Amino acid sequence: MKRSKSLKLALMGASVLALSACEEPQDVAVFENVDQCSQQDGFDRTSCEENMQLAKDEHIRVSPKYTSVEDCEADFGSTQCEIAPVQTSSGGSVFMPLMMGYMMGNMLSGGSRVATQPLYRSADDPKNFRTGDNQKVAGKTGVSKVPANVAKAPTTKTSTIRRGGFGASAPKMTSSRRSFGG
Amino acid sequence: MQRISLEQRDDWKTQAESLGFDFHTIDDAPYWDESACYRFSLSQIENDIEDPSEEIENLCFEVVQRAINSEEILTKLAIPADFWDYIRASWLNQEKNLYGRLDFSYDGQGPAKLLEYNADTPTSLYESSAFQWLWLEQAMELDLIPKGCDQYNSIHERLVEAFQTLQRNKDIDGKLHLASCQNSPEDEGTVRYLEECATQAGLETSFLFMEEIGIDANGHFTDLDDMGIRTLFKLYPWEWIMTDDFGKSVPQSGVTFIEPAWKSILSNKGLLPLLWEMFEGHPNLLPAYFSTDPRATQLEGDYVKKPLFSREGSNIEMVRQGEQPLKIAGPYGEEGHIIQALHPLPVFDGNHTVIGSWLVASKPCGMGIREDNSPITKDSSRFLPHVIY
Repeated sequence: MKRSKSLKLALMGASVLALSACEEPQDVAVFENVDQCSQQDGFDRTSCEENMQLAKDEHIRVSPKYTSVEDCEADFGSTQCEIAPVQTSSGGSVFMPLMMGYMMGNMLSGGSRVATQPLYRSADDPKNFRTGDNQKVAGKTGVSKVPANVAKAPTTKTSTIRRGGFGASAPKMTSSRRSFGG
Repeated sequence: MQRISLEQRDDWKTQAESLGFDFHTIDDAPYWDESACYRFSLSQIENDIEDPSEEIENLCFEVVQRAINSEEILTKLAIPADFWDYIRASWLNQEKNLYGRLDFSYDGQGPAKLLEYNADTPTSLYESSAFQWLWLEQAMELDLIPKGCDQYNSIHERLVEAFQTLQRNKDIDGKLHLASCQNSPEDEGTVRYLEECATQAGLETSFLFMEEIGIDANGHFTDLDDMGIRTLFKLYPWEWIMTDDFGKSVPQSGVTFIEPAWKSILSNKGLLPLLWEMFEGHPNLLPAYFSTDPRATQLEGDYVKKPLFSREGSNIEMVRQGEQPLKIAGPYGEEGHIIQALHPLPVFDGNHTVIGSWLVASKPCGMGIREDNSPITKDSSRFLPHVIY
């Protein structure tokens, strides 16, 4: 047979499924440091160290970024921010919150679907660990269940300085043209 | 290959509209046209369309491999030098492609001839993939066509699989953003359909318009929630990205683009002379030269002149001995042209017919047929379903 066996009636319009809501919650493990991790049942020190390093690398990428230390401290609390190893395009300093812990998959249940990432504590909700894109993970260390979307690699919250830089090259659409594609 | 007149389903317009396929009619002229269908034999599909499509895709890869290392070729293709390294890196890093459509002139006999490759921003996807499939199922149920007909069309299944693979291999990491230009319901519809396929594959998605994309202080692109974009499907030609204001930020943006930048070599009409130069005499290729090439004069008489960046038939000029040249108006051409030997589209009941052969993740998997009253097909050309029996 040369055709699709079945075809879920595909809509052309807006997607009706909020898929992350249907997915199974994921087991994740939260630790403040490598020692805490290696003391957890079923977690070995090597994996703990590797994941800590992964989270540290991600920290630079995914942590919320600020162009003033005051703005950063307003969100994360006094002395809870550091200078990020990046600069604005005009050479200014960039600030980010300190990494307060990290999240990884549960080694007992095969944590392959969990993206290892750094965790933060915000000033307005200091007892919970949150991801770089501000999703609540857990209020305690050790293994917890989180919605599947929280276990995914975060996209980075940032500050847009300009929009509208794409689109100018498109020829003006006339009534006789419907598509820019082909 | 035959054109067969058919009864239409009474309610097809209502169905189209309930599925969001609302450009089925354009300015009172039909776009989706089920008053006829094309019938093929299985061997016509497999031997004359499917196999040559796979073969041409592989020849195209050889062209890309050669072009990325040749400043002379990249110059001929009118690709800005600022993007040469970026395009080269996109190929060497094996950035994944999702889909494309090869357009053929084919009349049921003899080899299909490649007219061009819509490798970067092909449309008419939903009609081919979903609405044509639905028509087949229902037309058989209503006895409009014999039971047990088949169709060369596993596009939908392959798209969902391709998104699953991209996710599994972390080629799409996190959310997939998808974008098209404002003011084109057809382009937006195509992207919304791809978004649906990605969702069915389990990806988290977000749609926005190209014009809405922002940039942050580090040169990363952002969506309307100020979230960084990591993977962007864009139904927006690479040559426009390269000349847009934000274009210069693309190489350092860290964004994975679908289609990847190396597709800009294949969507360029300059692909056609490059293929001919490397594989001259291949049965599925037509002689073609850059217009600046002295050999272009060999095609004097009957030929087609195409701008490097033309889309939807715009600015194409068809010249036949003893006839007035036929020209389609449009905004393209300053970038240069190619000359291709004329291989007129076959005519069925007065209609000029072109075959669109779909590839998903470089594998041929389906077909869409367009008809026009003129020998040059355009964005307004009618879409007709096909059957195999």
